[in-house]
Amino acid sequence: MIEKKIKVINELGLHARPSAQLVQTISAFESEVMITRDELTVNAKSIMGVMMLAAERGAELLFRVDGPDEKEAIDAIEKVFASKFGED
Amino acid sequence: MPEITVEKLYQEHKEEFELYLLTDGSGLKKKIETPAVHRPGLALAGFTQRFPHRRALILGETEMAFLASLSTEERIRLLRNFFSFDVPLLIVTKGLNPPKELLRLATENNTAIIQTRFNTADFMIQFSGFLDEFFAPRITLHGTLVDVYGVGLLYTGKAGIGKSECSLDLVERGHRLVADDMINVVKKSQNLIVGSASELLGHHMEVRGIGVVDIERLFGIRAIRMQKRVEVEVRLVLWDETKDKYERLGMEEKYTTVLGVEMPVVTIPVSPGKNITVISEVIAMNHMQKTYGENAAVEFSRRLSEKIQRQLASKRYLQSDYE
Repeated sequence: MIEKKIKVINELGLHARPSAQLVQTISAFESEVMITRDELTVNAKSIMGVMMLAAERGAELLFRVDGPDEKEAIDAIEKVFASKFGED
Repeated sequence: MPEITVEKLYQEHKEEFELYLLTDGSGLKKKIETPAVHRPGLALAGFTQRFPHRRALILGETEMAFLASLSTEERIRLLRNFFSFDVPLLIVTKGLNPPKELLRLATENNTAIIQTRFNTADFMIQFSGFLDEFFAPRITLHGTLVDVYGVGLLYTGKAGIGKSECSLDLVERGHRLVADDMINVVKKSQNLIVGSASELLGHHMEVRGIGVVDIERLFGIRAIRMQKRVEVEVRLVLWDETKDKYERLGMEEKYTTVLGVEMPVVTIPVSPGKNITVISEVIAMNHMQKTYGENAAVEFSRRLSEKIQRQLASKRYLQSDYE
C-alpha cells in the first residue's frame, strides 16, 4: 500500500469537472484508492464521494492506494493534480 | 430526390382529395419533383419573368374568374404564353370547369388538368401537407424506438445487446413501443424527426430464445404507438471495466445528428442481467427536466463551486488574522 499527501494547487479547487477527471483517471486502475480529508474518507472511484470532499486550493488530501498497479496509479494521480486539471 | 408522376398522384389519391381528371390522359407521365405548390395568377396575366412553373399549379376561383373576364383572343394569347413553359400539372379547385381554350391548350402541350371538389384554401393545406410528407428526407435506422413518459428514446447498439429485451421491459411497465429493429425516420421540419414502424413490421419483435412476438396482441393497444418524435438516442455498449470512460457528471450534453437534426446521446454500459429499464425512465425524466430548463448536474456543480470558494475565502481571512 502507498500513502501520499497531495495538495490541491489549481485556483478553483476540486470542483465538478476536475473531480470527474480525477475519478476517471483512477478508475482506469485496478487498485483500490481512498482519499481522506480531515475526518472524511471517500472512495476515489466514486464521483459523488470525491465531490463531497469540496477540496479548495491549498487543501491537503491523503491518498491511500492499494493494489497490483498502485505505483502507476499514484503517479497518474500526482500528474493530474500537477497539471491543474488543465485549468489556470 | 424523390418524385411522383401525375398518374400515380391521381390514381392513389383521387378519393382522398376528391380528384377528377379533366384532360384525356395527356401529361400523366410528367413528374412533380418539389413539395412546393404555386398559384400562377401573375403568370396567367402575362408576367412570366419569375414563374416557378416546375411546381404543381393550383387554379382557384380567382384565376378562373380572371380567365373568364378575357376575350377569347386575349385568353388564347395569354394561355399560349403560359404554356410556353413546361408545366407539370394544373389542379382546378372547387369543382370548377376551366374554359375550353385552357383544356385544349393543356392537351396540346401535354399537360394534365385535374379537378378537385375541395375549396382552394382546404386543398392547399392538405395537398401541401401530403407533398411535404412525400418529399421529406427519410432514413431507416437499426434500433428500437420507445415512448417513455412521452419522450421518444431511440435505442441503438450491436445486435444482441438487449435493445428488444429492454423495450419489452419498458412495455411491461406501461411505456409504449413504436418500432423494433427497423425504424423509418422522417424529417418533418428543421428540428423535428419522427419515427415509425414499416407497415409489414408493425409492432412485431424478435425476442431471442422465443422468436417473433406481436406486442400489440400480447400487451394490448396501450403498449403501442404508431409514431413518435425521436428525442434522445440511448446507445447501449458492453461494459468494459478497463475503459471506464462513461459519463460521470452529465454537465455537457453529447450530440448526434440524424437527417441534419441534432439530438442528445446517452451512452449506457450494460452487462448481462443489468436492468436498464429504470435507467431509461430516468433518462426520459432527466431529458424532460433539461427541456424545461433545469439541469441537475449543472446545479449541483454550482453548489459545489460555491462551497469551495466560501471555504477558500474564510481560510484566507483566518490566515491573515494575527490577533
